[in-house]
Amino acid sequence: MPITENKGLLVFFYVIIALFSAVCLIPFILAVSGSLSTESRIAAEGYSFWPRGFTLETYQFLFGSKAKEIIQAYSVSVIVTVLGTVSAVLVTTAYAYVISVKSFRYRNVLSFFAYFTMLFSGGTLPWFLLSTKYYHLSDTLAGLFVPYLLSVFLMFLMTNYFRSIPHEIVESAQIDGAGHMRIFISIMLPLGRVGLVTISLFYALQFWNDFFLPLMLVSDQGLYTIQFLMYNMMANIQFLASGNAAQIGGIPVAPPLETAKMAMTCLTVLPIAILYPFLQRFFVKGIVVGSVKG
Amino acid sequence: MQKAPPAREGSVSGKPRLKIHNIIKSLKNDGSLYLLALPGIIVLIMFAYLPMSGLILVFKNYNFNDGIFGSPWAGFSNFEFFFSSMDDALRATRNTVMLNVLYMITGTFFSVAIAIILNELRSKWFIKVTQSIMFFPYFISWIIIGAILFSLLDYDKGLMNQLLTAFGITQIDWYSSPWLFVIVLVLANIWKATGYGAIIYYAVLQGVDTSYYEAARIDGASRWQTITKITLPLLIPSIILMTLLSIGGMLKGDLSMIMGVTFLNPLLLPTTDIIDVYVYRTAIRSGEFGFASAITLYQSIFGLVLVLVANKLAGWYDKDSKLF
Repeated sequence: MPITENKGLLVFFYVIIALFSAVCLIPFILAVSGSLSTESRIAAEGYSFWPRGFTLETYQFLFGSKAKEIIQAYSVSVIVTVLGTVSAVLVTTAYAYVISVKSFRYRNVLSFFAYFTMLFSGGTLPWFLLSTKYYHLSDTLAGLFVPYLLSVFLMFLMTNYFRSIPHEIVESAQIDGAGHMRIFISIMLPLGRVGLVTISLFYALQFWNDFFLPLMLVSDQGLYTIQFLMYNMMANIQFLASGNAAQIGGIPVAPPLETAKMAMTCLTVLPIAILYPFLQRFFVKGIVVGSVKG
Repeated sequence: MQKAPPAREGSVSGKPRLKIHNIIKSLKNDGSLYLLALPGIIVLIMFAYLPMSGLILVFKNYNFNDGIFGSPWAGFSNFEFFFSSMDDALRATRNTVMLNVLYMITGTFFSVAIAIILNELRSKWFIKVTQSIMFFPYFISWIIIGAILFSLLDYDKGLMNQLLTAFGITQIDWYSSPWLFVIVLVLANIWKATGYGAIIYYAVLQGVDTSYYEAARIDGASRWQTITKITLPLLIPSIILMTLLSIGGMLKGDLSMIMGVTFLNPLLLPTTDIIDVYVYRTAIRSGEFGFASAITLYQSIFGLVLVLVANKLAGWYDKDSKLF
């Protein structure tokens, strides 16, 4: 069904989309190129799309003298992401299941109880004081994921998935004498697995990218996440400059500050970039379901 | 919603059995429901409801040892302070609303435009590939975006100034130009959010009955006419709805974005000091709670008012789209 007239407009459309896609990619090319450049040429000539004096020195520096900090921050991020995602998904799906049970008399109460927190919030300040003084979450691993265990948006998204499961299946299980715990674990979770995967991914992304919780609650460097380490590198050059001078080929040289930022950027984006092609469709599905009835 | 009868399970098989039996059975069943909901309830109480009650902080003279609830009452003195530092409050409010309005307008424009254009394209693989690429920035944290922006905007080494020099234009010191930096923030937001928004609008268009387009083609409508007379009007309800609902978030700011992109650069604060940044700077980092608590209360209350107004407007525009 080709429209013969206005071929020009169509070509124009292809060009626009291609250009916008290029704009979305270019910053990453800049980062990769920066990380492979030599520090001296970046300092002299600035960043560019093509590595200035192709070298792996920066990565050698990072994995040499900063390996401990980076591996530690990476591990904290991985642990927080895994632990946070698993527990958040359990808390969220359980709550979502309860408000999707049609016969439960308080389901609307619980639904509003969650919904109200989207309307009104006490703000960061009381949250911060409670978390630090009363819950003692400062400088604890729990502080990096417990506050995010229930995203109301994802909970309602999960409720939608549960509601799309045919009620007859639940009813027949009830007639067979299955309790809610049983129905939740052996029927709803397996049948709602698309929703389960979707909200898991949203949670994982949130935990991996989170900056707010370490900013508020962490001062101990042993609990820095990769994002927080990255921020401290950007905001405070001292981190890279401090400690042992870089040793490249046994000769001490000035640490590559500029290229190290770009290398850290690449290292932080890498896991997302690797997983992205496989996971993207779940996010798309989640966004569409969530926006139709969120 | 009508209240469900308390013991519906018992009556599934037909006539209700003994009432007492039903109640016991329902309690037994519901008991596990309470257990399942409990962790979520605790999280909501700890991190949403208790902070709400923590807003009484505004009437307190906070000190760390006594905590929120034990600190001595301060009456309205925090508000006096609030009004005496009105300039700060106004600046923070203006910046928050200004940035949100700019994000909303530009974000909607680009998302809608991209969705409409994608809808015109026919090459499936091209749509698939470009959509994936445009969505990717959504997955990148502001911290990373800030690092990359630095390599673009840095005065000496940034790519932007290299380009400006190449074209014979004087270099710009982006990190000390608060008003120019607003443009940077808006562009960064477009870069990160367009792919996400386009998915929503594109999904709306995918659900449209193709017979509209067939009829238009038979009538000899041009491509541009189909876009302006069919596609765009079909999107208008979603656009209005999303815009109305975003009114509810006008006073909310993204602390991570400002921190990640500006590193709290004091030279940029005239336009980047949004309410959340202000609270972070004064209270959490410097420990002055009085004024920050007043502005937090003000943000919470006006935030609620805005949400209620947005919901009212959305309901008035389209009954089904009311949120509650």
